[in-house]
Amino acid sequence: MNRREFLQCAAVLVAGAGTVPSAWAMNREQSAFLAARPSYVKQQELTFFSVSQRSAVAAIAEQIIPETDTPGAAEAEVGQFVELMVADWFDDSERQFFMAGLAELESRAVGGFSNLSDAEQLALLEQVEDEVSDAPWFDLGSTLRVWDDSAPFICQLKELVVLGYFLSEVGAKQALQINPMGSFKGDIPLVDAASYAAEMPLRASFGEG
Amino acid sequence: MENAEFDAIVVGSGISGGWAAKELTERGLKVLVLERGKDLRHGADYRGEHAQSWQLPYYGMPDRERNKREYPVQSKSYAFSDANVQFWNNDNDYPYIQTEGKPFDWHRADVVGGRSLLWARQVYRWSEQDFNANSSDGLGNPWPVSYQDIEPWYSYVEKFIGVSGQAEGLSQLPDSEFLPPMEYFALEKTIKGRLQKKLPNVPITIGRCAVLTQAHNGRAPCHYCGPCHRGCSTGSYFSSQSSTLPAANATGNLTLLSNKVVKRLQHDESGAQITGVETVDSQTGEHKVYTAKLFFLCASTLGSTQIMLNSASDKHPNGLANTSGALGKYLMDHAQVSHMAMFVDDVDSYYQGNRPNGLYIPRFRNVDKQDQDADFKRGYGYQAMTLRPDWQMSFNSRGFGAKYKESLRQPGAFWIWVMSSFVECLPYESNGVALHATKKDRFGVPQLVTQFDWGSNEKEAADDSGVQAAKVMRAAGAIGYQTNNHESLRPGGSGIHEMGTARMGDDPAKAVLNKHNQAHGIDNLFITDGSFMASSSCVNPSLTYMAFTARACDYAVKQFKAGKYSG
Repeated sequence: MNRREFLQCAAVLVAGAGTVPSAWAMNREQSAFLAARPSYVKQQELTFFSVSQRSAVAAIAEQIIPETDTPGAAEAEVGQFVELMVADWFDDSERQFFMAGLAELESRAVGGFSNLSDAEQLALLEQVEDEVSDAPWFDLGSTLRVWDDSAPFICQLKELVVLGYFLSEVGAKQALQINPMGSFKGDIPLVDAASYAAEMPLRASFGEG
Repeated sequence: MENAEFDAIVVGSGISGGWAAKELTERGLKVLVLERGKDLRHGADYRGEHAQSWQLPYYGMPDRERNKREYPVQSKSYAFSDANVQFWNNDNDYPYIQTEGKPFDWHRADVVGGRSLLWARQVYRWSEQDFNANSSDGLGNPWPVSYQDIEPWYSYVEKFIGVSGQAEGLSQLPDSEFLPPMEYFALEKTIKGRLQKKLPNVPITIGRCAVLTQAHNGRAPCHYCGPCHRGCSTGSYFSSQSSTLPAANATGNLTLLSNKVVKRLQHDESGAQITGVETVDSQTGEHKVYTAKLFFLCASTLGSTQIMLNSASDKHPNGLANTSGALGKYLMDHAQVSHMAMFVDDVDSYYQGNRPNGLYIPRFRNVDKQDQDADFKRGYGYQAMTLRPDWQMSFNSRGFGAKYKESLRQPGAFWIWVMSSFVECLPYESNGVALHATKKDRFGVPQLVTQFDWGSNEKEAADDSGVQAAKVMRAAGAIGYQTNNHESLRPGGSGIHEMGTARMGDDPAKAVLNKHNQAHGIDNLFITDGSFMASSSCVNPSLTYMAFTARACDYAVKQFKAGKYSG
């Protein structure tokens, strides 16, 4: 973990990381404002990916986070999140890099990624990840930054999928658990093994420093 | 004169201005508060409060492009996010100039309530040693106020704001008037127990914070949602919005105007009395002068100093009350370095709710006497935070599918404990601000030029904080740790504890303000934000601003009622 990463970690801890359920003694007007605010992924039209890119990304997302006893990436609308982030949040060079990576992956999937069998999809993804296994993205502590634009395509896609899943309403409520508020208890048994959802990604506290 | 209805004008509605408004109105004065920022309704306008990740743009990922364009300085703060961006200063609206190679981050709010909405809520009293520091080591101008002078005012403000914490009886960190302390994490109890055995000279206590653990003065106890800096509808942490402004308003003596940028102060022919405040409305551009008999500057450390400098006149050629030349000089901040440890104790223990507070390790270096092995003067304390890692720190692993997914759902198999040292900063003449000769903002106010360097004393203390942190973390039972040194110090201002630039002192040849926070030579002008500080201690400063503000108001109103400020 380098100095910058370390500082970022410290910034997080100073900030504290909060999670809350839907409403608690809030001002009525503010409460109504929040209740009327739809999920980010429902606020925007999807116009950036082609049909085949969209289905490839959705299929990859489901391979990374499949449906188990909890919902998978599709139900959490992870593909929509990835498309919006690539279209809006990425800068030009990040977008270019990502789209080139996606094109390259698609070129390795004869007949289109989403048309491959489950086993073929997984095999291709594992192969692509193998090829970049020495990337610094996999290092301990490399998560403590806002974004790693030097990471290989497959890593960037994986990161977007994970963010899009665990920060979604479905992921936060069903794969993780909402931290009940009302009191603070500092020492309770760890029974339900799921972590608490974060109402904001930790990295939002990192700043650019 | 117009608007003769006001006895007093307070510039700024942040933590100091809110207190000035409360104290002056409660003593019967008709008070006008002028706030540069936008109006903001308590509760109703806390639009990010309790918002969930999926309701935020980009699920709460920082809007990098906008931040770079509009908030390049403000977005460096841990407290800045899309959930409270409306509280912050757009850096393009009020530009300032950083001296090349001597950077200073100036964090500012732009709303009624100011940074009292955004502060970290940690409150610690200064000690006798802190007030004696300048006179005993000579590395600063002597304080004109002793701990005994300010002690009753600490009690006074603490009883109003509500401070949760634990009495410890430490000379270097006097106890406050406490509400019940917050609970420890299991790991923190383990750490404390080991330290008491192995390093009994290192005290450790629950953070002392202006967050309520029980109902207090009509405000509800904390519901532990976590991110206080989004605003708190229940008023469970102290802010001007939740506490002092409503109290001032209840007197019927308060008028508060937002969007009023104060450009300069006007004085009478003698130069010994302030007569009015020149303002411009940030929305309409309307210029207006407000008059009164008594004036309190609470516009933040650099904000007040900018007004004082920009009020230069033939009677005050170097800025108001600046015969000493100290105005704009001796700027301080706290130097912060973070050290991190991993623990595998208490991994079967979890928590519920989010505690907006950590542990505190009070200064234990150079307490009462200089330590033999310390190459630096004064000291530092640590704020310590406990975190259970989750998927956000482990997603960068290999694999796909159910196994990968399940691994991310679990809390990490260890705890992280971070000790952040807050190092006392000495007052250096070379650190400070001045007005730029030609560059002005959109209202014609000359821009501030900042200049700041950490000195060798801060760097050596920062290094020592790493050495001592390693001892503490080892004694506490960490399985691994990493410490840092002065190379990781961020620019001045990053601590958001900027202090000085209008220091107080008995000698008018050396200080801007006297022991009552009253300008030397201008009896009806008081400054009670962080600019009055003559040294910085190592503890968070807001409580001290509040206590000095209340004390100054008490004095000023007695003078006012004795007819000293005829206007």
